[in-house]
Amino acid sequence: MLHHLQAVWSFRHFWMSLVRMDLRQRYRRSVLGIGWSLLNPLAMTAVFCVVFSSILGSSNWRTYAPFLLAGMSVWDFIRNSVTSGCVTFIHNESYIRQCPLPCGIYPLRTVMGAAIHFMISLSVVIVLLTVLNMNFASVQVLWAVLPSVLMVMVFAWSVATLAAFATVHFHDTQHLVEVGAQLWFFTTPIIYTRDLLDNKGLSWVADLNPVNLFLELIRGPLISGQPPEASLYVQGFTLTAVTLGLAIGTIAWLQNKLIFRL
Amino acid sequence: MAKIELNDVSLTFTLSQERRVTFKEYLIRGLFLPSRNPKVAVHALANINLTANDGDRIGIIGHNGAGKSTMLKLLAGIYPPTSGTKTVEGKICSLFDISLGFEHEANGWDNIMYRAYLQGETPRSLKAKLQDIADFTELGSFLNVPVRYYSSGMLVRLAFSIATAAEPEVLLIDEVLSVGDMAFQNKARQRMKEMMSSARLMVMVSHDLESIRSLCTRAIWLQQGTIMMAGDPDEVVDAYTESVAPKISRHPAGLVTDDPDQAEPVEPAEIVERAA
Repeated sequence: MLHHLQAVWSFRHFWMSLVRMDLRQRYRRSVLGIGWSLLNPLAMTAVFCVVFSSILGSSNWRTYAPFLLAGMSVWDFIRNSVTSGCVTFIHNESYIRQCPLPCGIYPLRTVMGAAIHFMISLSVVIVLLTVLNMNFASVQVLWAVLPSVLMVMVFAWSVATLAAFATVHFHDTQHLVEVGAQLWFFTTPIIYTRDLLDNKGLSWVADLNPVNLFLELIRGPLISGQPPEASLYVQGFTLTAVTLGLAIGTIAWLQNKLIFRL
Repeated sequence: MAKIELNDVSLTFTLSQERRVTFKEYLIRGLFLPSRNPKVAVHALANINLTANDGDRIGIIGHNGAGKSTMLKLLAGIYPPTSGTKTVEGKICSLFDISLGFEHEANGWDNIMYRAYLQGETPRSLKAKLQDIADFTELGSFLNVPVRYYSSGMLVRLAFSIATAAEPEVLLIDEVLSVGDMAFQNKARQRMKEMMSSARLMVMVSHDLESIRSLCTRAIWLQQGTIMMAGDPDEVVDAYTESVAPKISRHPAGLVTDDPDQAEPVEPAEIVERAA
């Protein structure tokens, strides 16, 4: 495994330049550049704010908008990593057929792209919180958020790797993942707060949801300005370690069979 | 120090009737049952033993489908051996499928960069070579255009220039190379010769038997995944040509089909000519 990591590192110039290219492609097509791809979550936040505050009469938009935007950025990062991770071996087939690179590089390429976008939208959340609350609480708590951001990236890479191998074996995995993500989105406290589930006696839905764990680790402290409890870190770390172990195990198990499956 | 060592290496492809199965079909049509989705084992290479050291130039010959290209891909590390052990030491450069794997949205310069990094260059070492590579392509201002707009000849020029810019220790060449137009072909041939003389170890696959005779120090004749004969290039090539030529002239019936229109007797000499 160490050998694998070493190989990933020695080809860093290769995949990093591809990540750079992916980002350039993504942002070049539009006049607004990066702003354009942020417009989607921003617009979504605006819509939900209007809907929730006028129809459901929920709390004011000043607290709801950053809450929603923070939740959406975490969710979008995980979902994008996994759905684009699905097709990563298929998109990079020509490299796989040409060069024996460590296969962890390909999900890394897609996840790194999504991660950079994630960082940008998180900074928008922090700016929004600072402006709306007129204080720097969310900036001051950043030290407690950064380890969680690292963890969610490792988690996303692991799940993307698993999804990539699944897609090689079943070619409709991406489709299934997208359908599943729709369901998952509504069972996760992203557009509503956790209380809603707790009040209905459905706390277990949130407790068992790995996405919710990362929401509490990243969105929680940013909104409240308080670092999360140590037990949350332990849970997050365990979850990340287990998925990472699964991903590494899958690579060790299937990497030699990959070329015959494409 | 470059070195190749294959020890009783076999490579078996397990092919399924249904490729690219979706999960839906898998469940509904029951493709998990072996009877619904039979697997076929194809022995691409069987019990290959090969040792090569610095200075060896090995030519591989054989019919189509004999496993020549598979053997090169195995040496390059793309196919892992099913059984046996493989050791390849030294920096490998492989010249096959070279026009695969361009980023079509990026321009020529960027693609030179990606490819070069793929071959293990670093930004610093590439800097020195970048201009040489660009000059060799002779694409000029086309390098600023996305590769998507390139003709296939231009793509091959680009690919060849990048691939041959490396200084490999182990050079693997497959059936090279009708590269681009006449002018470029001469240049390419020149470049190949330079590479072959600078590489410490070379393995080439070719149907051009004369170049095997003149370039190689050893030859291997592959047939259906096994080594029929190995040794001095002249001897191996002679044995190979002998095995090909008389077989056709002795059995002209082998070419006759059931179609009555085509069942006319054919002059053996004509067949030999066609086969050549």
